[in-house]
Amino acid sequence: MNIFHEIYSTYFRIASEILKLPNITEKDINKIIETYGFRNSMLFLPQKFLLQNDGSDWGLLKRSSDGKLVKVIKNKPIEILTEIQKRWLKSKLDNPKIKLFIENDTLVSLKKRLEDVTPFYSSEHFRYTDQFSDGDDFSDELYQENFRKILKAVKSHEILEITFFSGNGKKISGKYIPLKIQYSAKNDRFRLFCFSLKDGELFHSGVINIGRVEQVRNTSEHYEKNISTDDYFRKRKCKEPVTVCISDERNATERFFMEFAPYEKNTLSNSDDGKCIVKIWYDYQEETELLIRLLSFGPVIEILEPPEFRRQAKERITRQYDLLNKNRRQ
Amino acid sequence: MSGFSELIKNYDKTRDYIRDFFIYGFKVRNDFDRKSLRTYDDEKRRIESWFGEYVKYDRSERGQKVSITVDSGSISENPLYQAYRSKSFTDNDIKLHFFIIDVLHNGENLTLKEIVEYIDTNYNEIFDVQTIRNKLKEYVKEGIIITEKKGKTAYFRLSTDGVNEFLYNYEGLSDAVKFFSETQEFGIVGNSVLESARLKNDLFVMKHNYIVHTLEDIIIPEIISAIEQKKYIALISFKVNKANNMGYIVPMKIFSSLQTGRRYIVGYIPVINCFHSFRLDFIRTVRTGDICEEYDRIYEKFSQDLNYCFGVSFGSGKIETTVITFCIDEKYEKFIVDRLKREKRNGVLEKIGDNLFHLTVKAFDSYAVMQWVKSFTGRIISITGDNKQAIKRFYSDINKMYNMYGGREK
Repeated sequence: MNIFHEIYSTYFRIASEILKLPNITEKDINKIIETYGFRNSMLFLPQKFLLQNDGSDWGLLKRSSDGKLVKVIKNKPIEILTEIQKRWLKSKLDNPKIKLFIENDTLVSLKKRLEDVTPFYSSEHFRYTDQFSDGDDFSDELYQENFRKILKAVKSHEILEITFFSGNGKKISGKYIPLKIQYSAKNDRFRLFCFSLKDGELFHSGVINIGRVEQVRNTSEHYEKNISTDDYFRKRKCKEPVTVCISDERNATERFFMEFAPYEKNTLSNSDDGKCIVKIWYDYQEETELLIRLLSFGPVIEILEPPEFRRQAKERITRQYDLLNKNRRQ
Repeated sequence: MSGFSELIKNYDKTRDYIRDFFIYGFKVRNDFDRKSLRTYDDEKRRIESWFGEYVKYDRSERGQKVSITVDSGSISENPLYQAYRSKSFTDNDIKLHFFIIDVLHNGENLTLKEIVEYIDTNYNEIFDVQTIRNKLKEYVKEGIIITEKKGKTAYFRLSTDGVNEFLYNYEGLSDAVKFFSETQEFGIVGNSVLESARLKNDLFVMKHNYIVHTLEDIIIPEIISAIEQKKYIALISFKVNKANNMGYIVPMKIFSSLQTGRRYIVGYIPVINCFHSFRLDFIRTVRTGDICEEYDRIYEKFSQDLNYCFGVSFGSGKIETTVITFCIDEKYEKFIVDRLKREKRNGVLEKIGDNLFHLTVKAFDSYAVMQWVKSFTGRIISITGDNKQAIKRFYSDINKMYNMYGGREK
């Protein structure tokens, strides 16, 4: 039992899609390969479905007397939930977040259905070493109710009226178009990515912590114009990337590239002395988080640009230097 | 062209290449010294084929740099899952997959002989009995086929657990699978469920998302199985000359750092009588050994030691105390106090005066504490404690950074 198995492979998926078609043409085959295949699959796959004189095709299709392509199997292929998939589902049923998605009655009957299945893993097998201790309370009924209303609206693109508390405790109410729900494992929190509305038009791209939501009200209204999630992310991206220089002391290059793997970045140069110059793009509202993460590397990372970002780093370091020296003198 | 395939037989080698392309965006062809340049070219071509739009090319003085670049906070599906969908197979594998499912499609219970005869008669293909027997056995193991014996004869039928039936009959399950398919613990399995149901995650995005972890999911089930069975494991490293020389270890837990992006297997090393963390991305395969008779006793000690593990290091097993004094404006910077509270782990936070706080941390590795403390740069008044070297380095680092940013120059 292994997830790296051909039954989960792209080529099997393509074959299944082709065999589900009521009538099959070469054009359909090519279209399916283009849609679901890897970039080079067109070079390798079409000939596997079409009858070859040397018998190198897969024998899944044949030509009828009138020259049409027909499948040799009699029924549409069906997809079975495999043992590993059931075991994985069973593990997830013990995750406290499952109640955000599934009502109690359904959960009970699903657990009953999978009662003979051995979980794939248990939460006991993992430890998140630096997860924050003030994550959302997923067992809270109001939280679950709010989460479900928001999730439903993300799917239906319904406008919601949301009342919530901002980071500094200010109560805010307004109309929002929900786009996506973000989860951070480090914060153990869900947040809603949305656009706020003003006079019926898009106003701001915003983020609302679901744990700080007091009330969600459905409006049954929908925003008629097309909204692109890509636009949302573009609007939140920094105007200018941060450029840093990483020295190779203390294995800093490796540590940096691992830690900053989730960020979009570009390595400009890596010289023979082991120094790397890297540009990092980030969500402008998370500038402080990026700054403190870079500072935690100490002197093995120097922030070069933009000047304002470098100034903030310098200000914190100078304040730190002064605090330590003042204390030493005392 | 000849000899190149998009598919692979073994995941290990490719895993290492993907990691390098993804983590380090600056390596050029000659930096890949593991095997021949031809191997590099094939791996690169496969990676280009699987990851398409995420592969980026840059010119440098040393040659062309190829990297996999993703802003993982804005994607809805981990692109590295593609590598799991590239397992090679034989012509018989794909034929028998669709034939057997077709034979059993209507819920019949058939014997091996009946299945062989049906395939021979209906699909114009002849297979030897052993090939079909092996495939049935394999699919029983995968859970696709159920077998039951009546007398001495084995009967085979298709499992009735259809993917669509599951996802659509249990309200909310498909949304849950969409969410969990992008989380750390074997998201790839959830993604395979979505693929089977022709669904995509269109609801969730992940922050602090280390998509590269999925490459290690291939070795974790073996580790978990050993933990469950209280067995020893041997860890085989990617680098031959750096092969694990600790012999067998007793596996305890998978540690995952959401800050550094690294995952480890923490185990007890009998020969040196201590706990140690091993990077999962450096491990090629895991070999399971015998049962460890003392597992429960070791696990109990491990559970106690966890209280002093600030990050992933157990150091030499000696507990060191570090006391950090912070200066925080309680009126305007309450969020800093909140940050300390939620990130301090086993640390004890005390208010010792107006805008002054003490944090006392007892941990095996003071350097791990120091790295975290530096994220509070600008608010630390002093640090005292047992590990003088670690504290000295902190003070020296602040001096270096002060000079690096030009001291008091305008």
